[in-house]
Amino acid sequence: MSRLGQIRKLWRFIAPRTQGDVEEEFRSTLDNYQEDLIRQGLSEEEARRKARIDLGQPAAQNETYREAIGLRLFDEFGGDIRYGLRALHRSPGFATVAILSLALGIGATTAMFSLIYAVLLHPFPYDGADRIMNPVFINQQHPEEYQYFTRSKAQMDDLRRAAPVESVLGFSGSHMEITSGGLPEDIYGAYLTENAETFLEVRPLLGRNIEPSDAENGGHSVVVLNYRFWHRHFGADPHIIGRTLEIDHTPYIIIGVMPRSFAFNDINGVGDVYLPASLMRGVANGPAPSYIPWIKLRPHVTVEAANAALEPIVLEGKKQPSGASAWHLALQPIIEPYQQDLGRTFTLLLAGVVLLLIIGCANCSILLLARGRARLHELAIRTAIGASRWRIVRQLLVEALVISCAGAALGVAASYWIARLPLLISPDSFPAESVIRINASVLAFSVALALLCGIFFGLAPALRLSRNDPSRALPGRQAGSVAAPARHRWSVLIAAQVALTLLLMATAGTAIRGFLRLTQMPLGYDPANVMQLGISLHAHDPAEWSRIQSREARTAYIEQIRDKIASVPGVSTVAVGIDATPPDADAQTSFIVDGSGDGEQPQARVMLVDRRYFGALRIPQLEGRLWNADENNRGDFIAVVNHAFATRYLSSSNALGRHLRIPGLTASSRNQAVSAQSTAWRQIIGVVGDARNDGVDQPVVPAIYIPYTASMRAWVQFLVRTESNPFTSLHSIRAAIASVSSDQQISNSASAFNGTFTLSQAIERDAQYSRQRLFSILFGVFSAMALALALVGIFSVVAYSVAQRTTEFGIRLALGAPRAHVLWVAVRIVLVSAAAGIVLGLAVDSFLGSLLAHWMQNAFAVGSLFTAAALLALSALLACLLPARRAVAVPPAQALRYE
Amino acid sequence: MTKPVELPQGTLEMLILKAISLGSLHGYGILLRIQQISGERLEILQGSFYTAIYRLEHRGWIQGEWGESENNRRARFYSLTSAGARQLKTETAKWIDMTAVVAGILDKKADKI
Repeated sequence: MSRLGQIRKLWRFIAPRTQGDVEEEFRSTLDNYQEDLIRQGLSEEEARRKARIDLGQPAAQNETYREAIGLRLFDEFGGDIRYGLRALHRSPGFATVAILSLALGIGATTAMFSLIYAVLLHPFPYDGADRIMNPVFINQQHPEEYQYFTRSKAQMDDLRRAAPVESVLGFSGSHMEITSGGLPEDIYGAYLTENAETFLEVRPLLGRNIEPSDAENGGHSVVVLNYRFWHRHFGADPHIIGRTLEIDHTPYIIIGVMPRSFAFNDINGVGDVYLPASLMRGVANGPAPSYIPWIKLRPHVTVEAANAALEPIVLEGKKQPSGASAWHLALQPIIEPYQQDLGRTFTLLLAGVVLLLIIGCANCSILLLARGRARLHELAIRTAIGASRWRIVRQLLVEALVISCAGAALGVAASYWIARLPLLISPDSFPAESVIRINASVLAFSVALALLCGIFFGLAPALRLSRNDPSRALPGRQAGSVAAPARHRWSVLIAAQVALTLLLMATAGTAIRGFLRLTQMPLGYDPANVMQLGISLHAHDPAEWSRIQSREARTAYIEQIRDKIASVPGVSTVAVGIDATPPDADAQTSFIVDGSGDGEQPQARVMLVDRRYFGALRIPQLEGRLWNADENNRGDFIAVVNHAFATRYLSSSNALGRHLRIPGLTASSRNQAVSAQSTAWRQIIGVVGDARNDGVDQPVVPAIYIPYTASMRAWVQFLVRTESNPFTSLHSIRAAIASVSSDQQISNSASAFNGTFTLSQAIERDAQYSRQRLFSILFGVFSAMALALALVGIFSVVAYSVAQRTTEFGIRLALGAPRAHVLWVAVRIVLVSAAAGIVLGLAVDSFLGSLLAHWMQNAFAVGSLFTAAALLALSALLACLLPARRAVAVPPAQALRYE
Repeated sequence: MTKPVELPQGTLEMLILKAISLGSLHGYGILLRIQQISGERLEILQGSFYTAIYRLEHRGWIQGEWGESENNRRARFYSLTSAGARQLKTETAKWIDMTAVVAGILDKKADKI
């Protein structure tokens, strides 16, 4: 049934008979009666008259009907609403300002709610997502540093058999290449155990998901596509099911496409394709393939109980240090990594929008009160002809609700876009799967909000205006030559509004100042026009891999590609690094420096780079020298350190010529190749300047730079400095790489791990940087809105009161009052309220300052508080004076004419 | 002429149910029948008559249907639903009980207490 039909049916249920039906029936009774009367001897005209006197008018009958079936209150509300709409229509200026004030607040609040709903409450499309846990190891020494771990198939079966566990999903991500078609394309694939469909319970958009039968015969060669990948690579072709996709030279049959909201992601990135886990083969002589497990708990099992039950299973066979550094199992809800950061961000943003909403409501209250003074006469007449106070309060409230609902409708429409703003500004801070949509919960929230706001801002004016004695208000319409009664209520509102606005402005000031400081902080390197190109070496392809598996061959291969890229026109420098791209770098490693005691365990970042790294990033060389090409290929015996390292660990003597060694620099995985003497003593041959290596806002950590050939992995990154925007050279660079090995492609993904992006983008993606930017943009917008609202409030109060007191001002002027004095009289109360608000705001801010600073992870700037206060004071003054000029512009004669 | 009787509140609906229980009727017919049975002693408040009809129909005690009246005009005929019949029964019992009790009290003489 159509939506319209449903509404009609519902309406039939409430009021089963139509107006025509009721009238026709009544008319037939009327006719019968009339005929009886004529038979009794009355004339036709008399009978007609008497019938209508006795029975009533047919036109009024529908009202009787509706009242009889209990629709009276409903009809009265309808009348109030129509009256409210008409009143708004009559004063479009007032209506626009009031509705917009609320729309801003409600829109922003709804947006924030839908964001929180999408990101924190329901970010995942999986069935029972709140029961899905990410198991990690933690120890008491560093509870915030958790470790993911993998399980083999047999170990996952052990987990699955445990009592608190409903099911276990295993997955493993891997870089792959599409080898069909022209140029190979790098993609990210995720192997999922074959229970994926029942575990995740996400209905595919097309086809089917991976099923247990796909594990048969060592795994069927089938593939499920990610929605975005399907769009990107296949142009959203609806007939894709059954076609073949060649990945790493193996054909796979496409069996399904997942919906947009499904962006299953392992720790490193969102999968472009999903494959059955049975296809993941172990390398000969290597360990059996293992997977990161997701554990879905049975309903009503607590995390603590599950931790206790699963810990012995998981820790079995793991070498355990004793004491506080012992490892424990911790099951993390899958939302947790996001929650830790976002909880705080959202609290702040939510506080911001709620303030905005309160300011908007206060504005409406002020407007209603100011306008209400002009309506006293109308309300007095209503009271005089018998309206009860409740009836008047109700009518005024309904009018307020009409405004708030109109505001809410506009706000909800706007929120659809506003909610996307944080995701646009700071995309990496949110789960990839959260899709912002206006759903039932969001709508219910905004309707509730609208009702609440309507009552919140409508009640005070309604109570105030309904308490009004008709005998005083009715006699004349003069009201004006007498000094108006005190308007305490709206002066309090204005003060509160101004104080809240100042709070928002000061917060914005702090955020913006913090962000500016961040952008102006010296990085120690020059990110402009530098691009990282990540490449994965062919570890999956046994034939290719055997060619470059040895350290020497791999070095030669990398150097060959490097030379080719360097020969591309427009490229000025090309450097090699392994996970050494600022502003972040690999984890810290322990090292030993000559002459130090055994007990010390100093830590530094070990940066695997080549000698051109410093030139490409423009990191200054402070002392000594850099290594040459031969030393680069050998990889051993030399090191360069940064300034932070020299001052922290070598402060007592000259850094050059000292020795250090890195015991951890050994091969730890089968694809790694290390130099002959990688853990031997290295001489420090140079010192370079500090470049950010722990995030943009953190102090530089001591770093040791050694030739990348000392420890090579199955991937490498090139840092390419170009003369202009690096992306314009990307195509020629791809061609250059392909000329070395036609299968070798760069990573398309933007993952920080091994992707392709500019170093400026890397900075923008930095967690602290993007959070600060988010805060400064959003709070900037919030405070601008708040300022606009407050000014509109002040402006309209002054304008209304000036319009009403024209006569009073006329008399004052006629009696010789100086213009300045009249101006002062006109704006006095408002100006004093605003000033009180600013003082109040300053007090609240200095009280909240330290709290805010802590939450924003940013110093609270007193300077920005006073700047904001001055700006607010100035604009409040302007908002007062502009409408007040009309008070002194009235010619006394004209003003007095009304008297 | 006998004196007209004023109806206590709520009894009109009972009378309408009774009138319809004797056979389906249109609105004016109900009016006439009540007046006729009461021996013209009931002056029904015209305004409240249709209110009562609407309410009874809305509660599902009577059911209206369009048909032809005796003089070949379209009219809405009301008949009792089963719920309406039950309602009439309980209301009648209640009414008889109540009037008996009230009459009993009013009849009491001082010496009988």
